[in-house]
Amino acid sequence: MIASLSMPERQSGLILAIGLAVLGLAMLGAAKEGPMAVHGAMAMVLGILLAFALAGALFEPDAPAGRTALYYDEPTRFGIAMTLVWALIGMSIGVWVAALLYWPEATPLWPATSFGRLRPVHTTGVIFGFGGNALIATSLHVLQRTSRARLADSVTPWFVLIGYNLFCAWAVTGYLMGSTQSKEYAEAEWYADLWLVVVWVAYFALYLRTLARRNEPHIYVANWYYLAFILVVAMLHIVNNIALPVSLAGSRSFTVWAGIQDAMVQWWYGHNAVAFFLTAGFLGMLYYFLPVRAERPIWSYRLSIVSFWGIVFFYIWVGSHHLHYTALPYWVQTLGMTFSVMLLVPSWASAGNAIATLNGAWHKVRDDATLRFMFVAAVFYGLSTFEGSFLAIRPVNSLSHYTDWTVGHVHSGTLGWVAMIIFGALYTLVPQLSGRRTMAWPKAIEWHFWLSVTGTLIYVVAMWNAGITQGLMWRTYGANGGLAYSFLESVMAMAPYYLLRTVGGALFLAGAAICALNVRATMLAAPAAAGATDRPLLPQAAE
Amino acid sequence: MSAEKHHDAEIDPVTGYETTGHDWNGIRELNTPFPRIVIWALALTFLYSVIAWVLLPAWPIGRDYTRGVLGLDQRQVAMQGFAALEKARDDWMAGFAAGDLDALAADPALMARAMPAARRLFADNCAACHGTRATGGPGFPDLTDADWLWGGSPAAIVETLRVGINSGHPDTRVSQMPAFGRDGLLPREVVQAVADYVLALPGGAAGQHHAGAQAFAENCVACHGETGSGGLGTGAPALAGGRWIYGGDRATVLATIHGGRQGVMPSWADRLSAAEINLLAVYVSRLGANGQRAEAP
Amino acid sequence: MLRLHYNLERVSMGLVAAIIVAASIGGLVEIAPLFTIDETLEAPADLRPHTPLELAGREIYIREGCYACHSQMVRTLADEIDRYGPYSLAAESAYDHPMLWGSKRTGPDLARIGEKYSDAWHAAHLVNPRAVVPASIMPAYPWLAATPLETSSLSAQMATLARLGVPYSRERIANAAQDALAQARPDSAGATGVAERYGARVAVRPFGGDPTRLTEMDAVVAYLQSLGRLTTAAHDPH
Ligand code: HEC
Ligand code: HEC
Ligand code: HEC
Ligand code: HEM
Ligand code: HEM
Ligand SMILES: [Ca+2]
Ligand SMILES: [Ca+2]
Ligand SMILES: [Cu+2]
Repeated sequence: MIASLSMPERQSGLILAIGLAVLGLAMLGAAKEGPMAVHGAMAMVLGILLAFALAGALFEPDAPAGRTALYYDEPTRFGIAMTLVWALIGMSIGVWVAALLYWPEATPLWPATSFGRLRPVHTTGVIFGFGGNALIATSLHVLQRTSRARLADSVTPWFVLIGYNLFCAWAVTGYLMGSTQSKEYAEAEWYADLWLVVVWVAYFALYLRTLARRNEPHIYVANWYYLAFILVVAMLHIVNNIALPVSLAGSRSFTVWAGIQDAMVQWWYGHNAVAFFLTAGFLGMLYYFLPVRAERPIWSYRLSIVSFWGIVFFYIWVGSHHLHYTALPYWVQTLGMTFSVMLLVPSWASAGNAIATLNGAWHKVRDDATLRFMFVAAVFYGLSTFEGSFLAIRPVNSLSHYTDWTVGHVHSGTLGWVAMIIFGALYTLVPQLSGRRTMAWPKAIEWHFWLSVTGTLIYVVAMWNAGITQGLMWRTYGANGGLAYSFLESVMAMAPYYLLRTVGGALFLAGAAICALNVRATMLAAPAAAGATDRPLLPQAAE
Repeated sequence: MSAEKHHDAEIDPVTGYETTGHDWNGIRELNTPFPRIVIWALALTFLYSVIAWVLLPAWPIGRDYTRGVLGLDQRQVAMQGFAALEKARDDWMAGFAAGDLDALAADPALMARAMPAARRLFADNCAACHGTRATGGPGFPDLTDADWLWGGSPAAIVETLRVGINSGHPDTRVSQMPAFGRDGLLPREVVQAVADYVLALPGGAAGQHHAGAQAFAENCVACHGETGSGGLGTGAPALAGGRWIYGGDRATVLATIHGGRQGVMPSWADRLSAAEINLLAVYVSRLGANGQRAEAP
Repeated sequence: MLRLHYNLERVSMGLVAAIIVAASIGGLVEIAPLFTIDETLEAPADLRPHTPLELAGREIYIREGCYACHSQMVRTLADEIDRYGPYSLAAESAYDHPMLWGSKRTGPDLARIGEKYSDAWHAAHLVNPRAVVPASIMPAYPWLAATPLETSSLSAQMATLARLGVPYSRERIANAAQDALAQARPDSAGATGVAERYGARVAVRPFGGDPTRLTEMDAVVAYLQSLGRLTTAAHDPH
């Protein structure tokens, strides 16, 4: 990786690495003990390792001449590796916590392993680790190809990827140590939040600087989505995470928001983490890799425009659908409900645009598991957004809220849509990056596909049943006018579904493991045929 | 769009639509016109929203918000719904609010309606301590046996539920097993002797000549009765029946006599209505009387 | 319109600005009025903040992730009122940074759990839920009873919360560690201080059940017993 950097770049990298080590040392020195000290030590060790590697490389041969005439794909390769590492971590923990709900006695008597601490490790691991790395890695690839420009510089992408993964590692190890702000999907403590802001600003700057060098007059739709993802996530992250640390030398902080204002800010963030992290970013991915793989033009440019702006505008309003019937004022709930219903239109327009793009390529969908991944992803995207809009209607939510129906909806979105589009993109991208026409084990893709589809269906159907059963048991009245079931009866009724969900999750995990091995084998294999699919770079800028 | 028509625009052979002429690393876009159905769908969902905005509280304006022509308030709606629920079960519940509990219990038709509701109330409020089958557990008495600390009639149970035992309620029933060992009321050997005496009670082996007999007579009978039969209505349990609250092994009995006990049963007066308390009292009283077990859970 | 967009797509900063504008409106319209519309937050006169011991318990509740399975929000629905008790008021979490309303009920709602069960039950349940509720799927937290409660950082935590608007006076802050201990020691000299500073409604009891030392169990149980009891307004909706 370092071999691809020029001497001045190695020097700036060295400075950054030393800076990281010093930051880590400062955290360690200030906190002395507790999560922040551990995190300081992690940063320090990472900084020192990087510094040694870079310092050593100062005496090695310079980067090959003419490299600036090529796309810069090393960071993408690293990002893909991290995507798969986090996929395995996050999903194994998912399967494990799923099993714990069926078999709670299996919890080892060690605080770090109990359900409440592992659950955010799962959500952070899969959303930020798996999803986030996939987004950053693919965005850097897509950005260069659709701009016909090399990344603006070669150090920033490494800073972004390494810094981002440090954030993820801080977050999940923090939860294991009991360090959390408890805000769903934003549990990481204040210094990790601040660190992410720095990383994110660098990411945004890299994106804009590269776009400014582009050789295509128009910015492609995928980049609109990636841009919306970067920008809005920054806005959400900053506002939701504003907190006052108890001490600069400790990990604990209190969010400045309280009570219902906190609830609204939290779900404004929480829902739009779904919207701009798990949806907008992945639509960017879809808009690039689907047409590339299908070798078909995007079905409608005009529809893209409407769905993009519809999504950006409508999504922001709907967070209050997470707070129906709560102490949040009714008027906000009404807005959340109605905008959620309107949101269905741009969502389905995007899904429809993707599926219609496959017109003329259905035979490929049949034969090519990679394209099938993307097709199924688009279908699940359509399904889960329909379900979401439905769940956002107040009376429906009165049944579904707090139940496993929400969890079913979540995983139809995350397994069916997010994970499948990632797998489709990886199977398209990895051979290209490795200079091969296919993955090392093409047959394994087919296996992976069926494991994923079966796993998702088992998971989602089990949770629908679980959630609706639960919701009904909580509100069913007997002929005598009294509540028919106790809460505990609803807990006991969940057992078979929790077991099934564990099985479905394990199948999905098995598929992901196959994918990781396949990607590894492909990346390590010698290039079989030059991937001549890319247009060459053009040196001058457009804007 | 004609003005923007790109010189590279071409007709896609599959769909027959023109491309926009742009090309990003091989990706092209069709200039397919906007599908009508999207416009209709947008209009429809917008119409739905406007109707909702007119009817319901919706838009903030300054320091206020639009109330909606239905004038709904979610709290009021909920309380109306709750009142309706109470009304729906009033036909049989009203009897429990103020009635002769024994007479109510004698009406099988009424019981057939009432007991499932009581069972659910018990499961959500009482089963945590007394167990899903009401058979108790360490520290929590069995409600299905014939032993009662404060009496097993519906009326006595109502009072227990209303004020609780050692609870925070001002009229709470108070009971305490003194800490004979810890507080130095009895020397260690005597505590051990009296423990052995108590342990021998259920088997009938604790006679007059037992080493602990005298200490028991002097210290314990006031609360637990001459023969450890309990049932004095002071909250002290029977010791001779072999049914223990805290456990009948030597270590537990020793711990009880040494450290004392003061079990807490919460008061339900603020949480359950009078009718619900009466209903539960009838339910609980029947658990023991008929020797029947509570259904799980 | 199309023409406008056609041009917009060529200017990256234009796109950026348009995205920011489009994505800000909804949040502004929904969040800002929550601070300005008066009726949003009627704070009852008798609302009190958590005591230091309860606050420490709340921190443990957060640390262990109890909120992943338990909501603290009785919705305005008749069946929830029937099962759990009066619906939750906005004011009840007015001092909660952050709120712990939750989004999943793997276990029951806890908004009204305060004083529903005894301290001893909570302690037994947390050490091993299946010892008291055989069908429970809640994890066991035996270490709570074994871990001494760390009280030295309570003052700093309360001072931070005071800066965010929680009514912790100087006196409350200065006595934090002492009050935490005293709230679990009804016979101690400090017990009256707790009542003076936080009101007579505050429970002063050996929550965790071990009178020889102050453990995390004392804190969690004190916190659980305070839920729904920070104001009497919730129990008297009209
Ligand atoms: C926090 C645990 C707890 C809960 C919840 C609880 N109880 Fe109790 N209950 C106890 C304990 C402990 C005792 C015995 C007190 C003692 O040891 O003196 C008791 C005693 C009783 C008694 C008196 C038994 C006798 O022998 O006189 C009755 C009746 C009773 N409970 C019924 C109920 C009912 C009905 C409910 C639900 C509405 C309920 N309990 C909820 C803990 C509980
Ligand atoms: C002041 C009244 C009082 C006196 C005197 C008293 N007890 Fe008790 N005892 C109680 C009460 C009340 C309980 C039940 C406590 C509870 O349930 O929390 C009890 C419980 C017990 C238990 C536990 C029973 C079980 O089911 O687990 C034992 C054993 C016992 N007493 C033995 C004795 C002995 C032996 C003495 C004399 C040395 C004695 N008690 C004196 C009031 C008394
Ligand atoms: C894996 C999910 C899970 C986690 C995590 C969890 N609980 Fe529970 N909890 C449950 C379930 C299920 C029940 C119902 C069965 C029972 O009473 O044990 C329950 C019941 C309870 C109850 C009794 C509520 C009632 O009304 O009967 C309390 C109190 C409680 N939990 C507190 C906690 C605390 C405090 C924590 C964290 C330290 C916690 N729980 C963590 C699942 C969980
Ligand atoms: C191997 C597959 C997976 C399994 C077995 C699994 C299992 C679980 C379990 C057991 C929970 C907790 C539910 C509860 O509290 O009741 C959960 C929550 C969650 N998971 Fe997964 N998961 C998997 C994959 C994923 C992936 C790939 C993603 C995202 C990309 C994801 C995102 C989430 C989210 C966002 C939640 C929180 C849901 C909520 O709070 O409502 N999961 N998962
Ligand atoms: C039109 C689009 C969508 C709408 C209107 C929508 C709506 C909803 C609603 C109403 C809930 C339940 C809130 C509650 O009762 O607590 C929910 C939860 C959730 N949805 Fe969606 N959804 C949409 C799309 C998606 C997609 C595509 C994903 C994932 C990729 C997703 C991920 C989630 C997650 C993670 C939660 C759980 C939040 C929590 O922790 O409670 N949603 N959504
Ligand atoms: Ca955070
Ligand atoms: Ca959630
Ligand atoms: Cu949402």
